[in-house]
Amino acid sequence: MAEPEVRMRGIVKKFGQVVANDGVDLELYSGEIHALLGENGAGKTTLMNVLYGVQRPDGGNIYVKDKEVSLRSSNDAQSLGIGMVHQHFSLIPVFTVAENLAIGLKEGGTRLEISKVKERIERTATQSNLVVDPGKVVGQLSIGEQQRVEILKLLFRGAQVLILDEPTSSLTPQEAIDLFHTLRTLRQGGKSIVIITHKLYEALDIADRVTVLRKGRVTLKGAREGITREALTEAMIGRQIETKGYERATIATTNSMKVEDLAVAPERGRVPVEGVSLQIKSGEILGIAGVAGNGQKDLIECLFGLRSVKAGRILLDGVEINNFPIRKRLEAGLCYIPEERKTRAVAIEMSLMFNSIMHDHWEEPNVRRGLLDGSAIRDLTKRIISKFNVVTQSENSEAGSLSGGNLQKFIVGREMSRNMKYLLAVNPTAGLDVGATDDVRKTLVEYRNQGKGILMVSEDLDELLSMCDRIVVIYKGIVSQALSEASFDKLKIGAMMLGEGFEQKKVAA
Amino acid sequence: MALDIGLILSAVLAGMIPRAMPALLAATGENIDEIGGVLNLGVEGMMLMGAIVAFIVDYNTGSILLGFLAAGAVGLLFSFFHAVASVTLKADQVVSGTAIWFIGWGLSGVLYHAAFGFTTSPVRINTLPSVSIPYLSNLPWVGTLIFGESPIFYLTLLLIAGVQYFLYHTKPGLNLRTVGENPRVADVMGVNPMRYRYGATLFGGFLAGLGGAYLTLVIVGSFDYDMTAGIGFVAVALVLFGKWRPWRVFIGAMVFGAIYVLYLTLESVLPSFPYQFLEMWPYLATLAFIVVVGKRANPPQALGRPYDKGE
Repeated sequence: MAEPEVRMRGIVKKFGQVVANDGVDLELYSGEIHALLGENGAGKTTLMNVLYGVQRPDGGNIYVKDKEVSLRSSNDAQSLGIGMVHQHFSLIPVFTVAENLAIGLKEGGTRLEISKVKERIERTATQSNLVVDPGKVVGQLSIGEQQRVEILKLLFRGAQVLILDEPTSSLTPQEAIDLFHTLRTLRQGGKSIVIITHKLYEALDIADRVTVLRKGRVTLKGAREGITREALTEAMIGRQIETKGYERATIATTNSMKVEDLAVAPERGRVPVEGVSLQIKSGEILGIAGVAGNGQKDLIECLFGLRSVKAGRILLDGVEINNFPIRKRLEAGLCYIPEERKTRAVAIEMSLMFNSIMHDHWEEPNVRRGLLDGSAIRDLTKRIISKFNVVTQSENSEAGSLSGGNLQKFIVGREMSRNMKYLLAVNPTAGLDVGATDDVRKTLVEYRNQGKGILMVSEDLDELLSMCDRIVVIYKGIVSQALSEASFDKLKIGAMMLGEGFEQKKVAA
Repeated sequence: MALDIGLILSAVLAGMIPRAMPALLAATGENIDEIGGVLNLGVEGMMLMGAIVAFIVDYNTGSILLGFLAAGAVGLLFSFFHAVASVTLKADQVVSGTAIWFIGWGLSGVLYHAAFGFTTSPVRINTLPSVSIPYLSNLPWVGTLIFGESPIFYLTLLLIAGVQYFLYHTKPGLNLRTVGENPRVADVMGVNPMRYRYGATLFGGFLAGLGGAYLTLVIVGSFDYDMTAGIGFVAVALVLFGKWRPWRVFIGAMVFGAIYVLYLTLESVLPSFPYQFLEMWPYLATLAFIVVVGKRANPPQALGRPYDKGE
């Protein structure tokens, strides 16, 4: 085999106590697509950030074309022909495609000759199968088109090695197919392409070679041909974990939160959510399965009072709460765990103490004679920290200083410590490591067993299957009949998430 | 008493451009500043400093040109402070700008008394005469309006055309706009956000100084404590009104100038009407414009936010 384009040797990168990369080796050859596989938090993005010069390694060496290099910034990486497309695009939405590509352009005079830039874009675009109108404003392009612009940007700057971080995560299936088509064309042109992904089938589908990371170490590497799906799975997540692991007691209850023919007040650019009927019994977990962006968040926000009701009723133990302000909903025993931990669940610059009373700082014993009671709040916060295994320096620490997993444990613990009857949770384990995920799931099931009702949105179908008593599927704002545990069928639910069975329903309605 | 509409109108048209000029100069500078992502609320203070320094230099040398240059220099100096505080030290831009406003406000008055002592009648200098462009200025109506202005006006038109060209037809202009939208993107693309922000802030300060000088050297001929009376803030508002487009800012400034002259004219035509209310009117109009236009404005996304490389 030829010399590798890029060679990383023994890369070590630590964030405080956490070792994100622990002696990682990686080789990239020209004319190949390399899948960098691993679970969330396995250290894939960190490794590529090191290669892109965004993060400096604590150990190890990087060679480009057999020459050792020191990458101090992304500019260093770019000048060596290494380019990266992050999950969040770095485009200026108000600029045209051509303007976005012309930023920082050095060659030529001071004059910005946009027509020449456009010509060049069109030439590069046809060579590499990246159809995009250079005169269009980027903010008006679809996500798939924006991604093409990002790739063009790299090619424009002479990138030989292209790193794509989770490139299909926000694409439609058709866009993903187009992207892979493009990547194959680029491979033919001799480029070296890395896709960072946690989707097995993607790696199996497109990669020539695969490197798997787990907990910062390489667990498998080699050519695609020699690798089976099972071997990849095991390398990614270790021994197969038991998913049906949660003890669930049978609870006899009469109370429930009911949603009757609910329509959420429409908002521009959102899927309309209409005709939703649900019943969340206390002592059960009702799951909402669906591909992101099908209206599940809108529905939850409406139930909690963040969006207004257009039609229908929300009943909490028989009381209509349609027009309740959020505070009254809280007092009625409704709780909410939003997906956006750091922006919506806590104030990251405030201490855990203050964060722990955000929903009920007006209630005894948090407040006495109109003043906050410091010792009562401290006790409460300490209780949450110890009961839910939150790793933190103290109850005075800023919420923002906690790791994602510990912050989520704190948030869940806070809700559980309130006078809660029903909980609305959106992707409660997204982005958490295995341990924290397990803790959060256990806590939710435990509270279900104590007779609380939980409505849980999750993009992880396995999670729903392992935790829920019943599951509904949401597709384009329409919610299916509830499936009970006996009829859980992963393939069938998966098909429903992609719209199967919904067309007829719409006609019937 | 019947108001002579024709007379009022011609007075407004004749006085519009001179009255608009200080705000126009300052706003053109502020526009560049904001497009780079730096909000400068110290314009008012920089204008006052420009006004007093220009006045002192002109009084002592008799040179209007030197007066303007000195005013530009002091604007540069003050905006340098603003840049150090808000770009390098990443302080809150509003706080830094407000501090500069206060310093300029107080220091300009002190400098006046330091230079001229306490006088009963204001110290005066000769103002810059206007130039008439041959033939064109003889045209009826528009003749004196457009072709009989101070030379600074014509230079300013060239300047705005240059700013327009710079922003939309040069690479550094594109880079500056990028810095104002998303400095991190600029940085990754090999553009140094710090350098561009310094440049933009200094340019803004220079023009704010010139705007102040225009007041003393061209319009009034003397210095008054707090004589800008909020024009610096009007300049900031004009940028918003103009949606960060140089020629829209120009139009906004002209409208402001017209409204300002209208108030001066009405004051003399309606002596019995409480002048305090007329005096409010240009500012109320500015406020109204901002409320109406500001809702739809699409400011540079990184405006007012310091860039922290390490984040």
